[in-house]
Amino acid sequence: MHTLQDPQFGDKMVTLMAALVLVLQIAMVAQRWIVTNIRLFAAQSFLLAFIAFTIAYFNHAPHIYAAAVATLLAKGILVPIVLERLVARIEIRQEIEPILNMPLSIVISGGLTLVGYVLAEPFYRPDEAPGASTLGHNALAVAISLFLIGFFMMINRRKALTQVLALLCLENGLFLAAISLTYGMPLIVELGVLFDVLVAVMVLGILVYRIRESFESMDVSRMRRLRG
Amino acid sequence: MGSPHPFLVSALLAFLAGAVSGLVTWRRPAAARVVAFAFAVLGSLLLLVAAFRALAHPSSAISSLPLVTLFPCTVRLDPLSAWFTLTLALLALAVSVYSFGYLRPMERTRNLGALGFFYNALLLGLALVFTAANAFFFLSAWEVMAVSAFCLVVFEHEKAETRSAAIVYIIMSHAGTVMMLAAFLLLAASAGSVDFAAFHLLASKLPPAEQGAVFLLFFAGFGVKAGIVPLHVWLPDAHPVAPSNVSALMSGIVIKCGIYGMARVFFDFFGPPPLWTGTLVLAVGVVTALVGVLYALQEHDLKRLLAYHSIENIGIIVMGFGAALMFRALGHPNLAAIAIVGALYHTLNHAIFKGLLFLAAGSVVQSVRTRNMEEMGGLVRRMPGTALFFLIGAIAISGLPPLNGFVSEWLTYQALLAGFGTTHSLTRLMFPIAGALLALTAALAAACFVKAFGIPFLALPRSEAAATAQEAEPAMRYAMALLAAACFVLGLGATWILPVFDSITQQALGVPISSSLLAHGIALQAGTPQSGTVSPAGIALVFLALAGTAVYLVNRRLRHARVATGPAWDCGLPGLTSDNEYTATAFSKPLRLIFSAFYRPRREIRPEYEVSPYYPSVIRFESGIEATFEKRLYDPLKDWVFGLSRRMRAIQAGSIHAYLAYIFVTLILLLLFGVRQ
Repeated sequence: MHTLQDPQFGDKMVTLMAALVLVLQIAMVAQRWIVTNIRLFAAQSFLLAFIAFTIAYFNHAPHIYAAAVATLLAKGILVPIVLERLVARIEIRQEIEPILNMPLSIVISGGLTLVGYVLAEPFYRPDEAPGASTLGHNALAVAISLFLIGFFMMINRRKALTQVLALLCLENGLFLAAISLTYGMPLIVELGVLFDVLVAVMVLGILVYRIRESFESMDVSRMRRLRG
Repeated sequence: MGSPHPFLVSALLAFLAGAVSGLVTWRRPAAARVVAFAFAVLGSLLLLVAAFRALAHPSSAISSLPLVTLFPCTVRLDPLSAWFTLTLALLALAVSVYSFGYLRPMERTRNLGALGFFYNALLLGLALVFTAANAFFFLSAWEVMAVSAFCLVVFEHEKAETRSAAIVYIIMSHAGTVMMLAAFLLLAASAGSVDFAAFHLLASKLPPAEQGAVFLLFFAGFGVKAGIVPLHVWLPDAHPVAPSNVSALMSGIVIKCGIYGMARVFFDFFGPPPLWTGTLVLAVGVVTALVGVLYALQEHDLKRLLAYHSIENIGIIVMGFGAALMFRALGHPNLAAIAIVGALYHTLNHAIFKGLLFLAAGSVVQSVRTRNMEEMGGLVRRMPGTALFFLIGAIAISGLPPLNGFVSEWLTYQALLAGFGTTHSLTRLMFPIAGALLALTAALAAACFVKAFGIPFLALPRSEAAATAQEAEPAMRYAMALLAAACFVLGLGATWILPVFDSITQQALGVPISSSLLAHGIALQAGTPQSGTVSPAGIALVFLALAGTAVYLVNRRLRHARVATGPAWDCGLPGLTSDNEYTATAFSKPLRLIFSAFYRPRREIRPEYEVSPYYPSVIRFESGIEATFEKRLYDPLKDWVFGLSRRMRAIQAGSIHAYLAYIFVTLILLLLFGVRQ
């Protein structure tokens, strides 16, 4: 059988790329510069789009192509450009100031990956349905890990802009879970989610701007003053 | 005659159209007053037809409303629903007609479009509460009713008093809804369905502990809305501050939602209940009736007084329910049926005469521009029509024959008095004690309405506003006349109306009762060995005969006598002014002394001196009674809640990171917990 039509090969491709996505995510935890972070996110989104292409190709699911293209355009290109412009416009310090230090953050991310695997365990039933579910196993574990690490990044960062970035990573995890488990949600759902992401970036962009104007900083910890 | 459902649906559509027209005429109060309330009148008439049809041909057919929603919008008009729908339709008709006149002076100053919107929404919610055939739809309708009632209460929101009353109302109302929701969920879990048909007699099949929980949750949940003591504190604050047409609806029918819920639960969802439930309900009813009337006696705000009387009448209705539950537990379905008939008949009667009283009070308050009775007086000359209608309502609510209040209170008495012989345990003492206290309540209510009629309407005006008061507009008087006529019809025609209850008691207890209640055509009897017999129509005839004789005799004397008109008897001090009058405070003083253990009256006299201690320049006098329930029950509760909240603030760090961390930790724990399962 030709390699390019072997589902086993496709599974391996997907697993490999999913692993790379996870590596990129941990790199984002470790990375200090906002702009680099945004580019890492763009790379991650590209990889996700490729995962979607691969799944679409090997499983003959043409509608996933559309989702993949949409992801590529929206999250791989549009959102990073908007975010970079925002960074340029508000003239903030280029450094992320996390609450916990780098090494500890990475150790926690490792722990969260473990949690992800534990959580994905019950979905792994190779004896029941061989083939598809093995793909689900690794990819799902990675997806949950992405989600948890994204959440952790949101907690760990002070500036609203970097929190937006973390939210987007979290959303990438959800996307990976969706395509790897179900081979793609209906296209309309995908479009809705993407649209949500775009709107979220817009709204948060404005919000970031406002927070900075009101508090002369993007540090959301200063919003503590709002407490009654 | 066909099914009532087409009429029900058109009535609902009319209310909906009324609500929409309120929105459309948001900026045009004159149009809003006419259009929105015309729709309300139309809807009430259609609802009346639907209720009559349903009562004439009882059935439990369910139909779906053509609405696109996430859950089934099913309605049915079984006899119990039809009875409450009839009550609603009659009262809503009169109040909507009244509103045409009542709202005219407000056109300049108020957003009548908003009022029309919420008014129609309230009627819509009420109609759906009484007819909803599943728990989801019922609770949704309940919320429509509760929230639109809130918006109507808070209509005159520029007054601080109104705002605080409305907030207390909405908080307590929602607390009640939560309890109902919990009880419905317990039932639904065991029925596997939310249809009321599936709940029929279901509660009695639950294990005893769960049965008790369901019963108490329902009783407390509906009790908040009905205003049973000690859950009544919102009622005397919220009802008076609303516009008077809304007050009439609130006291007449909105609190009856609680009564409807209790009837539905006690006699549809429950089979023969445990004895303690009936004992509890009867005791609560007695306390509610007494507390309501005692507070009413000391109240000098005309509308607050009426609101306290609503609590009293709810107590009387709940006493009927309690007696019925006890009879059912003891195995006397016939007596239970009499008690239910008494309670449900009183529900309608109270809606009619309390509606009438609130409408009359509304005319007075609009004309005198105060709710304080001490500043009224002498209104019978300025507003003769309103005074007559208020008097009819006062006679009816005092339970005097031959009007409607008498019939239903008499039925409740008969049931209670017959209860003594039904068992040999100590519980039988409950019945005569409750009967005696009911008699006390009725007597105190009569005393209170001597005050409520005498102080505002008789003697000399006590203020400039009272001296220049204007009679109510024709539309308002027509509406009051309608309700006053209903008081007569429901009293004198009781013997023709009671057979309607057969289908209700048949549904609830399996016994039709009217045949044993009716004796000799126009007389009522309680179908028990020791029963009494009474005929409201006969009493009316005797009254007429006696009055006719008296008038005849007086006229005959006067025809030949010389008549001179002189000043009122003034003890030799000519020139009586309104300062010489008996005040409401003075009138209620003896009762304040007798029941001082309950009232804990407080009085303060503070003279201020300028020159010598023997010649005070000013004497300040203040007297009042203790708000026992607020002070002893609700204030400690409030302090406790605030204390708890203050301690809870420790976790409210105000930092986004902390909140995110809370969510994150919770999420991970839940996920791990889910995996381990």
